[in-house]
Amino acid sequence: MTAGYAPVSVRDLLTETVLAAAVVVAGRQGLDRPVRDLSWYSGELATTANGHLMVCAAAAVTPSYRLEALVRRAESAGVAALLIASEEQPPLLSTLRLADRLGIPVLSVVGADLVDLLHRLTIRVRAPEVQRARLIEDVVRRLSTKTTAEDILAALGLALSQSVWLLSSDGSAIHGEPISLPSTLRLDLTVPQHSDPSADGQILIHPVTEPGSTQAAAWLASHTAASNEHERIATASALAVAEPYVRAWLISQRVAAERDSVFHGRLLADLIAGQGVVSQDVVERALSAGWRLQDWHVGIHLVRTARVPDPLRDDPVTSMRKLRNALAAQKLIGPVVDRGDGWTVWISSATEPPSSDGRRVLRSVRLMLAQLPAHWEVVAGVGRVHHGPGGLASTLLEARDAATLARTHEYRPAAEHIDELGVARLLAAWQDSEILRAFAETALAPLKGVDGGQLLRTLQAYLEAGGSVSTTSIVLGLHRNTVTARLHRLRERLGVDLDDPNQRLALQLACRSIETEHG
Amino acid sequence: MERYLGADDVSALAAGAGLLGSGGGGDVAVGARLLRHALQSRGRARLVAAGDLPPDMVVVHVGLAGAPDVVAERPPGGEDFANAVTALAGALRQRVGAIGVIEIGGLNALIPLVAAQVLGLPVVDGDLMGRAFPRISQTTLAAAGHPATPMAVVGPAGDSVIIESASIDAADRIMRANVAALGGAAAVALYPCRAGTLAALGLPGSLSGCLALGQALVASAGLSVSQLAKRLGGELLCEGRVDEIRPRRGDLPGSLTLTDRSAGHILRLDMLDEYLNVAIDGVSRASAPDVLAVLDPVTFVPVPPDRLRSGQSIALLRLPPIPGWPDGVEGLIGLTAFGIDAGQPEATR
Repeated sequence: MTAGYAPVSVRDLLTETVLAAAVVVAGRQGLDRPVRDLSWYSGELATTANGHLMVCAAAAVTPSYRLEALVRRAESAGVAALLIASEEQPPLLSTLRLADRLGIPVLSVVGADLVDLLHRLTIRVRAPEVQRARLIEDVVRRLSTKTTAEDILAALGLALSQSVWLLSSDGSAIHGEPISLPSTLRLDLTVPQHSDPSADGQILIHPVTEPGSTQAAAWLASHTAASNEHERIATASALAVAEPYVRAWLISQRVAAERDSVFHGRLLADLIAGQGVVSQDVVERALSAGWRLQDWHVGIHLVRTARVPDPLRDDPVTSMRKLRNALAAQKLIGPVVDRGDGWTVWISSATEPPSSDGRRVLRSVRLMLAQLPAHWEVVAGVGRVHHGPGGLASTLLEARDAATLARTHEYRPAAEHIDELGVARLLAAWQDSEILRAFAETALAPLKGVDGGQLLRTLQAYLEAGGSVSTTSIVLGLHRNTVTARLHRLRERLGVDLDDPNQRLALQLACRSIETEHG
Repeated sequence: MERYLGADDVSALAAGAGLLGSGGGGDVAVGARLLRHALQSRGRARLVAAGDLPPDMVVVHVGLAGAPDVVAERPPGGEDFANAVTALAGALRQRVGAIGVIEIGGLNALIPLVAAQVLGLPVVDGDLMGRAFPRISQTTLAAAGHPATPMAVVGPAGDSVIIESASIDAADRIMRANVAALGGAAAVALYPCRAGTLAALGLPGSLSGCLALGQALVASAGLSVSQLAKRLGGELLCEGRVDEIRPRRGDLPGSLTLTDRSAGHILRLDMLDEYLNVAIDGVSRASAPDVLAVLDPVTFVPVPPDRLRSGQSIALLRLPPIPGWPDGVEGLIGLTAFGIDAGQPEATR
């Protein structure tokens, strides 16, 4: 593992036997400066001298004023310390004072073989780098045969003895437990980053970018228990080494997803075009895709209505993953086909579901929509239960019709069931009537301009959610108690009984008529 | 324009020359005694600008070369300098019309006036160095490619040597060898040139500038060192104590460590026979050809490098530069000419 060494300080180096005869002639207060490396001073101070112990032959710092100029420049270059071979004359008093003031340790050795000394000290100073090189070697060896993200992360975690995550471009975990990133880490900057060191250690993230893209497609993240610099550098290097492996996996995933999407899209189009008459070819292809055409089906059509898609967060692979997660959470398990602007989903079962199943699915879809990213602005339509390959085509067409209606609503997310379409059309006629509009004006007047329209929106969402407080709270992203409190205020302001179906219907009509006006 | 210098002016002139010596140039007291004597016995000296002389008039520069110790032990007589000029005039086979000043710092700012008095010639108001430099090659004339020869070297016993022709560096070596042979100190007449050349290449007005500087110093009793620096038009770099003296080793410059009393800066003053470079906190702040003057902070008497003592309080001033040096002569009169490389450009001047 990478832990177990601290950065070497000038003081540490003085305990080495080769420096036994060295004397600190000035700058004693800088003895705790860390030494990153050693270099030989031949009259030119390299720009890379930061953190170096400079070993200087007597000739390079003679006459004495040369050493003084070097002390000054060493300070601005961030040099850790100067080691000089003693001359007959000690350094100037002004040089010693300057080194004292700047805290640049000046070590002096008499009669030492400087080349040998440089070699020996280099081994000591570079020990962390040797260890880091071993770690990288280990990582490369472990990763060489790994092709899936899971294997790559497991191998990396083993090599580092740390937790490792793969995060999507917005920071949600693709592999590993959910992790909350510190706000100092900026996912909009495609560069390796680390959190500030703390007692809990540090979180490091490394972007995974695809060729030709400047945005991170995903992030590798790790958590180091310690917070020393060497360990951080070692971990960062290991993440950088693992990045191409993850990238390769990601690209292969994407290629597979695109291939599936094209195949499934074409198959679905053939199915729907057949309208109940299904050719043998289609049946075989559906079978290979794992679709059970002979079962009972409920179709769901989802459309993303966001006008401005967010390319950073909405790549097809991660979008699909989010959708599948949301569907799975509501136990809506079935084939999902990417339609470009949305998805077609259907749920198949071997036995005929009860007729109420359509309502249950609609409720699940509403809950599912609430879990999708709000900026997608998704609308959904749900079809009736149908049987067989032709039934699948029917329910999907119904779902699409229902989605078209849902799209006309002003609020998002919106979901409609095909069963309500007849009623909806009836209502649509109503919504245009003068009487209803006049009623809406008076009935909803107490809500105008209150709380910036919040109460009105809550009422709309509540009515559209079929009077479910929990669905309303999810749809609006509010706590249940907030919704309940708002409903209480609505009842007071409007003076209506929201539990009375008649009054509820009247209010819903009023709400929708306002919606039409605005839409 | 002509002006005259009398015996009354000698103290001020010597004081100015002491400041402009930048620590070198020899003991002005010797020159002041000689000059005072010459002015008292032969009347006032005539000062003319090179441009006011007929352009074809021959000007010969006069000075004293040699070790300060020898000069102090066996002061030269005024006749030696006149003899040197006469010897050079003989070699030139031309009549000398005026005497020039080779360096305005130290003893040699005064010597030409002595020679001029003996010979009854005017002295050019100007010089060739703008301060004191150790080598005869460090002049504006040499920078312009003008030879220093023919040159006459005359010892205290009247022995004389004529160097007909030599490159500028060889002339320096030959002159030193001859001065050593003549007893360690000798009068030198060199850099014969036309007045027109001098008007174009010299540092005009530096002799009267030196006098003005000296007058300001002489009239500054009771002032603080910083007030003095302001009056002289210079800058007080440090007032403090000498903590360490590292003497020169051959051609390697020696150094002085100073602690600035007020600001607490760490100063290093590099020196050979003259003060050459001041580094404040490791950064070079002033260096040759700047004139650096080390003074006793109470008496304002200039302190040359060989009279510095550990623990001594001193004031370090940078004096206003005398204009007239062309650009691109750092190799001749800058730090590199003294074997000091200030390292990387640390200039924050």
